[in-house]
Amino acid sequence: MTATRTHTPPGTRPAGPARGRQSVDRPAGPRTAHTAAAQDRPRRPLAALAARRAFLVPMGVAVALLIPLAVVFPGAGSWPAALTADLSGPLGRAGDWIIDHRDSHPLFLYFFGHISNAVVVSVRAVYVLLLAAGWTGVTALAALVAWRLAGIRLALTCAAAFVACGLLGMWVPTMQTLALMAVAVAASVVLGALLGLAAGLSPRADRVLRPVLDTMQILPAFAYLLPMVLVFGIGVPAAVLATVVYAAPPMARLTALGLRGADAGVMEAAASLGATGRQRLLTARLPLARRQLLLGVNQAIMTGLSMAVIASVIGAGGLGDRVYQALASVDVGAALAAGIPIVLLAVVLDRTADAAGRRIGATPVPAREQHLLRRVFCGWYGRLLTFLVAVAAAVAGRVAGSSLWPGSWTVPLADPVNSAVAWMTGHLYSGVPVVGGTADWAARFTGWILDPLRSGLQAAPWWLLLLLACALGLLAGTWRTALTAVLALGAIGALGVWEASLDTLSQVLAAVAVTLVLGFAIAVGAARSARAERLLRPVLDVCQTLPQFVYLIPVVALFGVGRAPAAAAAVVYALPAVVRITTQGLREVDPAVVESVRSLGASRSQLLRQVQLPLARPALLLAVNQAVVLVLAVVIIGGLVGGGALGYDVVLGLAQGDLATGLVAGAAIVCLGLLLDRVTQPAKED
Amino acid sequence: MNTTTPAEAPVFAVDGLWKVFGPEKAAARVPGSADATGLSATELRERTGCTAAVRDVTFDVRKGEVFVVMGLSGSGKSTLVRCLTRLIEPTAGSLSIDGEDVLAMDAGRLRALRRHRAAMVFQHFGLLPHRTVLDNVAYGLEIQGVGRGDRRDRAAELVAKVGLEGLEERRPGQLSGGQQQRVGLARALAADPEVLLFDEPFSALDPLIRREMQEEVARLHHEEGRTMVFITHDLAEALRLGDRIALMRDGRIVQLGTPEEIVGSPADDYVRDFVRDVPREQVLTVRTAMRPAAAGEAERGPALAPATTVVEAIEAVARSGGPARVVDHGRCLGVVDDAGLLAVVAGLPATPGRGVAA
Repeated sequence: MTATRTHTPPGTRPAGPARGRQSVDRPAGPRTAHTAAAQDRPRRPLAALAARRAFLVPMGVAVALLIPLAVVFPGAGSWPAALTADLSGPLGRAGDWIIDHRDSHPLFLYFFGHISNAVVVSVRAVYVLLLAAGWTGVTALAALVAWRLAGIRLALTCAAAFVACGLLGMWVPTMQTLALMAVAVAASVVLGALLGLAAGLSPRADRVLRPVLDTMQILPAFAYLLPMVLVFGIGVPAAVLATVVYAAPPMARLTALGLRGADAGVMEAAASLGATGRQRLLTARLPLARRQLLLGVNQAIMTGLSMAVIASVIGAGGLGDRVYQALASVDVGAALAAGIPIVLLAVVLDRTADAAGRRIGATPVPAREQHLLRRVFCGWYGRLLTFLVAVAAAVAGRVAGSSLWPGSWTVPLADPVNSAVAWMTGHLYSGVPVVGGTADWAARFTGWILDPLRSGLQAAPWWLLLLLACALGLLAGTWRTALTAVLALGAIGALGVWEASLDTLSQVLAAVAVTLVLGFAIAVGAARSARAERLLRPVLDVCQTLPQFVYLIPVVALFGVGRAPAAAAAVVYALPAVVRITTQGLREVDPAVVESVRSLGASRSQLLRQVQLPLARPALLLAVNQAVVLVLAVVIIGGLVGGGALGYDVVLGLAQGDLATGLVAGAAIVCLGLLLDRVTQPAKED
Repeated sequence: MNTTTPAEAPVFAVDGLWKVFGPEKAAARVPGSADATGLSATELRERTGCTAAVRDVTFDVRKGEVFVVMGLSGSGKSTLVRCLTRLIEPTAGSLSIDGEDVLAMDAGRLRALRRHRAAMVFQHFGLLPHRTVLDNVAYGLEIQGVGRGDRRDRAAELVAKVGLEGLEERRPGQLSGGQQQRVGLARALAADPEVLLFDEPFSALDPLIRREMQEEVARLHHEEGRTMVFITHDLAEALRLGDRIALMRDGRIVQLGTPEEIVGSPADDYVRDFVRDVPREQVLTVRTAMRPAAAGEAERGPALAPATTVVEAIEAVARSGGPARVVDHGRCLGVVDDAGLLAVVAGLPATPGRGVAA
């Protein structure tokens, strides 16, 4: 799966194995795991629910009393200056100190310096290797590996994808991204596996790591960039390490999950045979977790790609950089030419990793029943042969004198796309009869929804918002949730970015509302008709694979720049996850209940309203949580295309070298992420 | 069925064994306290926060016998069998194998015990899903450090022995439940252990397959005479396989005896209730039904061994039309007639004068 970090991982749910294909295929985004864990807990007893409902009444009364009060004191709107801590001074000084001492202080010389060098050297080595292999070598190797893992169709897809990258004139940036990603993913897999091993084997380590990993998974990618820049400066090391930090949590979570989920019966059997602790780990626990491990690698690859592209903002280079530069000058054609290879890379990597995961546990086909060619390529010998064939292809490419993609073979895409976009700008932006134009839509969305929401939030007294966060926290969970929510919101105020954060919040709320309306509608349709779901499934699969960054390209083409396009990108990004979770939730409603209600003569809408939706409540809540988290991530990135607010502060901080601004915005993003995740996280009892 | 002399040391000697689950300190206080002896399980849990799964259990497992521990779920039988190899650490009591104190063993000795002396077969098989049948059977040997060639040879032998030839390269997922349990059995046998421990091995199987597997175990026991400790909740299974049966309730052994003793003279109402539906004539032997021979009877009629079940005696009596003699090594112990046999079938208490001491 999904780069989009969604869904439930297999195994966490009681029905794990029984869910069969679904849970194997596209189980999950890593982000999911915490919500799934929440689902694991026993459903809260009805009594507790009733108690909470009863508790709501006084809360409602309080709010009703307080709102007029807020209207009476309109000046109370923004966060009081007295409660603000201006961090830009100290942060700026800290940033300056680091910049000054980067070349002299022992910490940098002997620790960060070595890390940085190691990163640069390894990325460079992989890059040189990829270039040396040439397009023939890389394409041949990718296709052969895909063929061995899955078959001829995936092999052709792989080959076609790489050829397309070449045709678009993006061979070198593709290889740059691939090299950076390969190093980052390898490091994050190792790091994640080690952390996961600790958390999986020691309950104490698990208690320490779990909340940290939980929190890391809900944070938007942008929040990771600045601390890395602070330490390493803009460049490849910062980009790689940001990617490592971003991609390691899913691996760690899934590793821990797999190790903890090992069949107790098998473990006991191993112990009863007199296995030592090490033997139990190596021969039983790890092999039993291999599906989760591979899933973790898959997730690390997808999140790694996603981040490697975003990290172009801090000097990653490669495809992401091309998109970033093109978006900065609103050159949609150039952005698309770099965006397509990203999409292809994502699809190919996901499918290949997926195929590798699916081979596990599948019945091995006896050698004599296999195709002759397959028999030649199986086993260790086959692996060597694969490698040799790829080397031969590389050498052949070199001999033919076209190790880099031949310049004459490229297809210029930017110009035709740009003229198409120009035509669209001329004809579709506004004045289309009846429906209006896309720019009109964007303007209306901004004027009628985003602006009122933003001014409403910003005009509301700060203490009312704190109270609201507290109420939502109590509603969703315990007093701890409420405390976290209030502290997070308070911290935002104290950091002095109250207005910008509320701006971001307004975009998030609007986009989430749109996402949920669309998502639930689509999901209800898809759950009803098997055909609709069949049509939808591949689309969702691809959508969930794509890095957040590429969603910005089409919305800029359609809506130009501004807050509305950022929100639109967020909606498009979050929609697949919402649809998928909701559909699954609706489909998993106990068929016996549905049947019995049908037998009572319930109509379809009665069935939906009275049975399916109430029973799918956990899934719906999960969908809301995912929508909020995913929308936030993209709304922040929307700062790149005129979304303003916190995302823009981060970009600005990077562009102007004003780390203080960026870091404060980053901290606010973290707080906002915590706040939004906690108040939407369902049923976190005790 | 077996000819153990009392002088021979028991394989397992269990004395006053306790297992109390709960906070460590509180659990350690339970054995022997007034709470533990007087209270029921629920009361104990309320009072101390601990659950006593095994309470003051004492028994010996003799060499070569099939010792069945039977009880309903929650009676502590599975905990008990795990205590034997310390897969679950007992809270108190003493436990020895062949006279060697198991509780005093260090990790290495304990591993050696599990590797070579006592192997276990599990209810849910506990097979490694990613290994073939052959590698699963060889797994125990692999853990012992036996070389690949040797262990695969040995595993192949055992696969054949449990009737799985031709399935060596399958994965457990491709086998039926009965076949999987055969793999589990072969894995346990591979180390050639002194004792086999079975934890409800056939509960997860269909009735027909269960029957087949019971016969398989009976056959193995007959062929090799290996000592077996067999846990089950199925009374029929216990009666079919067991040389002796320990009936457990709430962590205690309520009765320990041969199938005939359990069915013929239940120790209390619980056991009586338990065995009520057992076809007594299939379990009880002619010893229970016989009376002293009247004059002349000791010479006539068909001769039956003392271990003959009542149902077999009924057939013999019905065929001959008169009483049958119970003969042990040429000596006539008594006779059985239709009245005595019917009394057993009807479940009437033995009339005075019957049940001659053997």
